[in-house]
Amino acid sequence: MTSATETVPAAGRGSLFGARLREAGWGYLFVLLPMAVFGLFFIYPLVYGIYISFFEWGILGKAAGATASTENYHALWDDQVFHRAMRNTFEYALLVVPLEMALGLLLALVINARIRGRAFFRSAFYVPSIVSSVAITTIAIFILNPDGLLNKIIGSDQAWFGDSSTALYSVVGLNAWTTAGTVMLFYLAALQSIPTDVYEAAAVDGTSRWRTFWRITFPLLKPAHFFVLVVFGIGALKVFDQFYIVSNGTGGPEYSTLSAVFYIYQEAFKSANFGQGAAAGVVLFVAIFLLTLIQRATVGRAEIG
Amino acid sequence: MTLQTSVASAEPLVPPRARSEIAGRALLYVLLVAFALLFFTPFIWTIATSFKTLPDSAFFNLIPDPFTTEAWKSVWNDYDFKRYALNSFFLAVVVTLLNLFLASLGGYAFARLRFPGREVLFVLILGTLMIPDQLRLIPIFVMLTNWHLIGNFSGYILINLVTAVNLFFMRQYFLTIPRDFEEAAKLDGAGYFKTYWRIMLPLAGPAIAALAILQFQGTWNDFFWPLILFGQGSEHLYTMQLGLAQLTLTYQTLWPQLMAGSLIAIAPILIIFLIFQRFFVSGVTAAGIKG
Amino acid sequence: MGRARAAVAATLVLALLTVVVASAANARSERATVTTVTLSGWSAGKTEDDLLQQIVNDFNTTHPAIHVDYSVINGDYATAMTARFAAHNPPDVFYVDSSIAPTWIKQGVVQPLNAFIKKSKYDTTKFYPGLLSAFKVGKNYYGFPKDWSPLAVEINKAMFAKAGIKKAPRTWAELTADAQKLASSGAVPGGKPLCLPADWARMLAFVFQNKGSLANVQAPAVAAAVNYYTSFFKNGLAATPTQLGVGWPGEALGKEKAAIIFEGNWLLPYMKSTFPQVGFGVGPMVKGKVNGNLGFTVSYSMAKDAKNKQAAWTLLSWLTGKVGMSKWMSLGLALPSRSDVKAVGGRAPFLAAGPSSRGWGFPNFSATLTIMNNDLQAVIDGHKTTAEMLSDVNASLKG
Repeated sequence: MTSATETVPAAGRGSLFGARLREAGWGYLFVLLPMAVFGLFFIYPLVYGIYISFFEWGILGKAAGATASTENYHALWDDQVFHRAMRNTFEYALLVVPLEMALGLLLALVINARIRGRAFFRSAFYVPSIVSSVAITTIAIFILNPDGLLNKIIGSDQAWFGDSSTALYSVVGLNAWTTAGTVMLFYLAALQSIPTDVYEAAAVDGTSRWRTFWRITFPLLKPAHFFVLVVFGIGALKVFDQFYIVSNGTGGPEYSTLSAVFYIYQEAFKSANFGQGAAAGVVLFVAIFLLTLIQRATVGRAEIG
Repeated sequence: MTLQTSVASAEPLVPPRARSEIAGRALLYVLLVAFALLFFTPFIWTIATSFKTLPDSAFFNLIPDPFTTEAWKSVWNDYDFKRYALNSFFLAVVVTLLNLFLASLGGYAFARLRFPGREVLFVLILGTLMIPDQLRLIPIFVMLTNWHLIGNFSGYILINLVTAVNLFFMRQYFLTIPRDFEEAAKLDGAGYFKTYWRIMLPLAGPAIAALAILQFQGTWNDFFWPLILFGQGSEHLYTMQLGLAQLTLTYQTLWPQLMAGSLIAIAPILIIFLIFQRFFVSGVTAAGIKG
Repeated sequence: MGRARAAVAATLVLALLTVVVASAANARSERATVTTVTLSGWSAGKTEDDLLQQIVNDFNTTHPAIHVDYSVINGDYATAMTARFAAHNPPDVFYVDSSIAPTWIKQGVVQPLNAFIKKSKYDTTKFYPGLLSAFKVGKNYYGFPKDWSPLAVEINKAMFAKAGIKKAPRTWAELTADAQKLASSGAVPGGKPLCLPADWARMLAFVFQNKGSLANVQAPAVAAAVNYYTSFFKNGLAATPTQLGVGWPGEALGKEKAAIIFEGNWLLPYMKSTFPQVGFGVGPMVKGKVNGNLGFTVSYSMAKDAKNKQAAWTLLSWLTGKVGMSKWMSLGLALPSRSDVKAVGGRAPFLAAGPSSRGWGFPNFSATLTIMNNDLQAVIDGHKTTAEMLSDVNASLKG
């Protein structure tokens, strides 16, 4: 396999430089529109958010006579509700992401294997992801009712969403169940890019199926792992909807379903305190950013482009 | 050497081994079906509820009692779901096509082309994932209002031209494709765009299929941005989700109508999924690579 | 094949943009001769929306120089409105909930109405003072209540009969006694006598009934009221909606998991359409040392950035005037906030609370309510003391 640098017929240094220039030019052209979209609708709002986080900022802009200060960040530091929201969010993400990845990968492997009725199972496992989240959450609330299906099966009367010690974990279960189908799709696509000769070679070598998976398939999926980890990890840290629905918008019981985004939402849109909401957003962003850098350093290193 | 010994141990001719394998397979199928049923329950409940009366829908029996098509009639006549479906479909198709093109083009560039600052830009793109919608809302809304892109589809399409998730995924996928193909294309004198269009894109079939499904569904199910950008004052612009939101009120949810509407909403997604899922059959692309 | 698809997409987008721009331009030119006023609110259901549209049509007919465009916001109202305020492009007239009124007024997005009131000699005396004051800051009026509802007592008739209780409780003592009778006679199988939410939007009424107030939230009167409310849980006579597996007390009453709840006028259409088979009765809210109740109310207000303020005022004053409000009351979906407008029949228990109702809302509303309700749940579960909760609430009200 030749390396990328050798692809151009070398006819003197000038032409090589020109070829490099051309490659860079095309590269920039291809990413121009995406970068414009990201710049305008993500980076600019972020910079705007960072700016206003240093002011007392209302619906119509800077509050009268407001000056730049770290007041909002001090307020966050002192706010127990914010601390709890961040703690909940990270605890939730730490639990739900491995669960989603494992479940999604498992489903993808099963579907990918030669079993009968593959199309049926594929559709079945994907269905929770497409049914409206209102319906899904309602069913989950029903199944996890104190006198609901789950309790009837295991013989308990626990109020899963109504008890502060179980509410968060119940949402973990709910979301892992609904997103597994989506994770499955990404892994399925990634599995297709592994050429079948790899499996054939392993079979010829007499490698057991478990070993084949663990030593060959799993490592080859590294780009997919990185993708799923980053995308669904970040998604988990931005959790809002399910927490909001199961707690009826209160973040309860006893602050157990308060999420960081809920805090931002409440400060900005209910209390019209945009400066503080932005500050919370910046803190969350920095936390996620650091986490992603760590992920990139550990898992992402495998695929140097 | 390895070949010889492995051949010897590869094919056991002892029946008990085969029997346990059949038992193992049967168990696997039972588990799968049980799992599938669990996953299917929300769907079944949705269908059942759409045929119930409102009082009956408060309870969770899977058989409607009495059985009625009132909800379906109400949804079709009292609410303009035909229009909502058309709007949703239009948006979903446009946004999905644009995304597939821009994300794959950009993903290819990040995976294969070298340009200064590439890694920094990529990290920036990953960074955009970390910004919650709530934080972006006001600046975007003010921008779009000033450009007169509120109250119609154009603002919505503009901000959804391409998403970081899609671009990121395409990049990851392109990284796994062996370089032989591009080498061959280069030797044939193909430029970068031609390489992308003729070689890389066809090879990315499964990834495109996955993204098509997910982006279509994402746009179809999007509630937040349509509500904010064109959800006020223009009922003829309502998407399915905005239409469905009419059925969820503060102290009451019209469950039968909501479920009927949801089923109308799910149908196209299911169809798209069924169409594109056949690209997940292994061996299709493998054959392409071998050739 | 792919190229064709891309071309199709591009054409579609272009076509759409053209259509949209054309139609927008068209719309603008049609309305050049008539003043347009935009009216917005959230949806309370198709019946209500249709009724309001009907009322708007009546207005348009009787006021030919003004055309009112009514549109519903079918989702997060506060967020959608905030975005519009920020872009200086809000509807001219819109709903304001009493709980968010102080915030929006302070942010300067709501138009003070005193000049208009003076000019048209508008009579504000007919509004119930407790409701009107929710939209008044200092001497300035920022809106008029369009309707309201207090809390009342709703009971399950069959269960009460089984427990041998003749009518709904009227005092704290009767409430306690009735709850105990219901429990001991087993009248509520699979539930509890009372369904009480961990919500200050219900408990605050009890605080008022004990002569407490939010001005001095750590006073003994408040603590006593809180302890009274939570005592029902400790004695096994009450459960929260979540504990009963329902979304709110109304659902508990409908599914017959509770015999006594405290809800407002909104319960009636809900029970009628969702649980028509459950026989329930309505009585006026219980009385502690005094009568005390919460007025949940919404105003029509004008945007500071409204384009045609005079026309907007005409609409606003008409909707909250005797004529407009009477039309709105015709379906019994809400109670009139004016004393010179009649409600439909059967609302006496609610209307009786008029004089003793205080508008629902307080400083730093959203953050404080989160603390209030989460702490209350903790107190009910025995994880926090009443004193700790009141201290947290006090800090939040001030901050």
